[in-house]
Amino acid sequence: MPTDTALPEPFARLQRGLVATLVIIGAAIIGVPLLLTLYLSVFDESIIVFPPHGYTLHWYGRILPEFGGALRTSLETALAAVAISLLAGVPAGIGLARHRFRGRGTAAMLLLAPLTVPGIAIGLGIYVFAVMIEERTGTALSGSVGLMVAAHVLITLPWVVRLCLAALANHDPAAEEAAASLGAPPWRVIWRVTLPAMRGGIIAGALFAFIVSFENLEMTLFLTAPGVTTLPISVLQYLQYHIDPLVAAVAVVQVALVGGALLLLDRLVPVARVAA
Amino acid sequence: MAAAALLSPALFVVLLMLGAPLALLLRFSLDRYDPTELMIETLTGANYLRFFADPFYVGVLRTTLGVAVAATALCLLFGLPIAYRLARMTSRWKTACMLAIVLPLFVGSTVRMVGWLILFAHGGMIDGALRRLTGGGLELMYTPFAVISGIVSINLPFVILTLQSTIETIDPRLEEAAESLGAPPGRGFWRVVWPLTLPGTATAGILCFILAMNAYATPYLLGGPRFQMMAPLLYWEFSTNNNWPFAAALGLILMATTLILTACSSLLIPRRYRVA
Amino acid sequence: MSRLVLDRLGRMYGRAAAVADVSLEIDDGELLVLLGPSGCGKTTTLRMVAGFVAASSGDIRLDGSSILALPPYRRDMGLVFQSYALFPHLSVARNVAFGLEMRGMRGPALAARVAEMLRLARLEPFAERLPRQLSGGQQQRVALARALAIRPRVLLLDEPLSNLDAALRGEVGRDIRLLQRESGLTTIMVTHDQDEAMAMADRLVVMRDGRVQQVGTQQDLYERPATPFVAGFIGRSTMLPGTRAEGGVFIADGAALRLAGRYGGNGAGTLALRPERLSLAAADAAGPGSVAGSVELASYLGAVREHVVRIGPTLRIVVRDSTAQGGGLLSAGTRVTVRWDQGAERLFDAADAPQPSLNPEPTDPRMTADD
Repeated sequence: MPTDTALPEPFARLQRGLVATLVIIGAAIIGVPLLLTLYLSVFDESIIVFPPHGYTLHWYGRILPEFGGALRTSLETALAAVAISLLAGVPAGIGLARHRFRGRGTAAMLLLAPLTVPGIAIGLGIYVFAVMIEERTGTALSGSVGLMVAAHVLITLPWVVRLCLAALANHDPAAEEAAASLGAPPWRVIWRVTLPAMRGGIIAGALFAFIVSFENLEMTLFLTAPGVTTLPISVLQYLQYHIDPLVAAVAVVQVALVGGALLLLDRLVPVARVAA
Repeated sequence: MAAAALLSPALFVVLLMLGAPLALLLRFSLDRYDPTELMIETLTGANYLRFFADPFYVGVLRTTLGVAVAATALCLLFGLPIAYRLARMTSRWKTACMLAIVLPLFVGSTVRMVGWLILFAHGGMIDGALRRLTGGGLELMYTPFAVISGIVSINLPFVILTLQSTIETIDPRLEEAAESLGAPPGRGFWRVVWPLTLPGTATAGILCFILAMNAYATPYLLGGPRFQMMAPLLYWEFSTNNNWPFAAALGLILMATTLILTACSSLLIPRRYRVA
Repeated sequence: MSRLVLDRLGRMYGRAAAVADVSLEIDDGELLVLLGPSGCGKTTTLRMVAGFVAASSGDIRLDGSSILALPPYRRDMGLVFQSYALFPHLSVARNVAFGLEMRGMRGPALAARVAEMLRLARLEPFAERLPRQLSGGQQQRVALARALAIRPRVLLLDEPLSNLDAALRGEVGRDIRLLQRESGLTTIMVTHDQDEAMAMADRLVVMRDGRVQQVGTQQDLYERPATPFVAGFIGRSTMLPGTRAEGGVFIADGAALRLAGRYGGNGAGTLALRPERLSLAAADAAGPGSVAGSVELASYLGAVREHVVRIGPTLRIVVRDSTAQGGGLLSAGTRVTVRWDQGAERLFDAADAPQPSLNPEPTDPRMTADD
């Protein structure tokens, strides 16, 4: 039977061309700013002028004096938030995936809710909350790293829970039942069977939690204080007054470090799977 | 009960850091602002009335919605073909491509804006090049185009990853079945693959929409004072005007708008397309 | 009329050949089964015919003209996938209508054809259900109805029964066979299951490592396997590697087996014995076609009984015979002689080529079976 309703050739070619164009534009929208940043970071100019008068690497030397403190705060906050959200989130993921109880739906919804609330509103709320506690108790909360970590845990936790849940959804509970029938008490079942089965999900969860914390801006805006500020915010403040290659150098170093770390990680867990 | 023990730490974090602040925000939004005493405890809807009575504020909300919808549409348009190609890729290039998509996520929205600043700024690449070629420059800074480009470039990786993981779950044999029944590849895609990606498309779209509604750095840096969106406006009311009650009302309006629209959009997906 | 010819078809992946030099002719209305273990190239061959894998060499001709240049959607092949690949978002009726819609059919003609297919496949009550609301057997019938609806020139079945439970397999297999014969469709079916293959095929092709081992009817393959692999894959055989000695004796693992047939040549080889063509006799009953041993294990399986007889330090022969004559089981340790005639044995030389027998072939080997 002839396929007379198939697309005529020119139309099919047009469609293929259109798809290719979309792919190229999409890739450009992601890639071009990063490439431009790389280019800008070696400009020997303190304002952006094209073409530059020369090229230099001296901006890279200024990163640590300018942003060292903020970078440190960012890393500390992100690592602490990842650790705490793993401690709270992995058990929560197991609980949701392996137990059936009343209110399970509500619990799942609550745990994922921070993903759907605008960060700028959460940030304001947490700041106001902290100020109120300060007034009542006299302990200094606002502007402390502790508050920042607590706030970051709120937005990293859902990612850990979500990815752990997904990891367990694909894993047959029969293995756990087998372990229990072989005489393992519940906590050993979790340690020896459930957690290893979730390995991919836990690593992915930690990875996403780190990203979410490290690059959070909207919520953290309300939680910084002089001396306690994260990298994205101090970059933003810097950009307010000068657009110069220093920020570009920061971006390049970040890309290089993260790229290296991801390549290493890819040997442990294929990134292509983790991201899903 | 085992489930309670597993879940309670995580639920405690969410209730403390999300529940309490939001409740407080709601309470504050009903207070009255006074230029000298800052905040007067009362119960009034004046903050909400002020927002909806003033064309400026309603305009900002409309701009924010417009930008978020446009950015979401564009992200899906560019994201779908890229995600499809990625999902059907089997070669070793897949890991490299996935890394290229994941990498920008780690760099953070502030730093990635630097690339766009170089491109759009007065005397930047586009302006400079046009000035030399045609004599007249083109300033894209502080235009909707600049803001939407910026938001799309930040959200696109998220959208691609979400769509890619959905498409991975669609059996490629379905496309072969369609083809063996006489459907050329393009037609098979629209009849078989596209309906099955709808749930993932909805998830990706909602994620992108929330991120765009909430965007701070992009409108702040690329939109400037001429192009106002909700998040920068809220922060400005908070930090410059010290008008906490109005900032709280803005936060809740932003949150309510986002939640209502995301709830509506998930109702649009017919039940049968939800993957079993 | 559809006559399909595969002409020295090959497919390379890098330097590895997934399919090499496959030449087959499938007559109009014939059901040809490609049989082999996983990785033997049978599925790759089927996918080349369907158009999803490009051939590296050779040609595929349908009624004399090559179809290699045609994309899958122009080949008019009805393909039934192992996983069925039903469209999960479309109802049963819409699944069946899909191929017809692609051919521009609509309105009453479309509805009539879909209704006819649903009736043929006994799916009328399920027309509006989604695939996931059906049982495995019903899903299988939808896949078949969907493939047949387009009146394909060739029907391709990829492991059509492997996702069904054992009880359904025979029944669905018969359904497919009847539908195929009624419509007179030229059909290629791929399977790894020899029972399925034997039950359904007009002719079988045994494949291994991308190459055709043997083509023939069920009887050809069972009675005259061309290689030890075919002897082991079609029906059951006990394989005994060893060497041929003078006087019609085959030495395997120290045990001397007296061959039933006479063969030329000498040297290393493999002897294949069919368990169901062997019988047990008293310990002193030697003669052509015999070996001495002792019973190691005996099982009563209902219609047949099975004795495992140990003939050397590590060598065992399985003997299976009918229980109809009322024989009980021999106890372990009993010394016996295993007897057979020429139809039960097949001797291959070191190069895996069958050794031609110098005796005339018996007319029906079963008639001369030892008591």
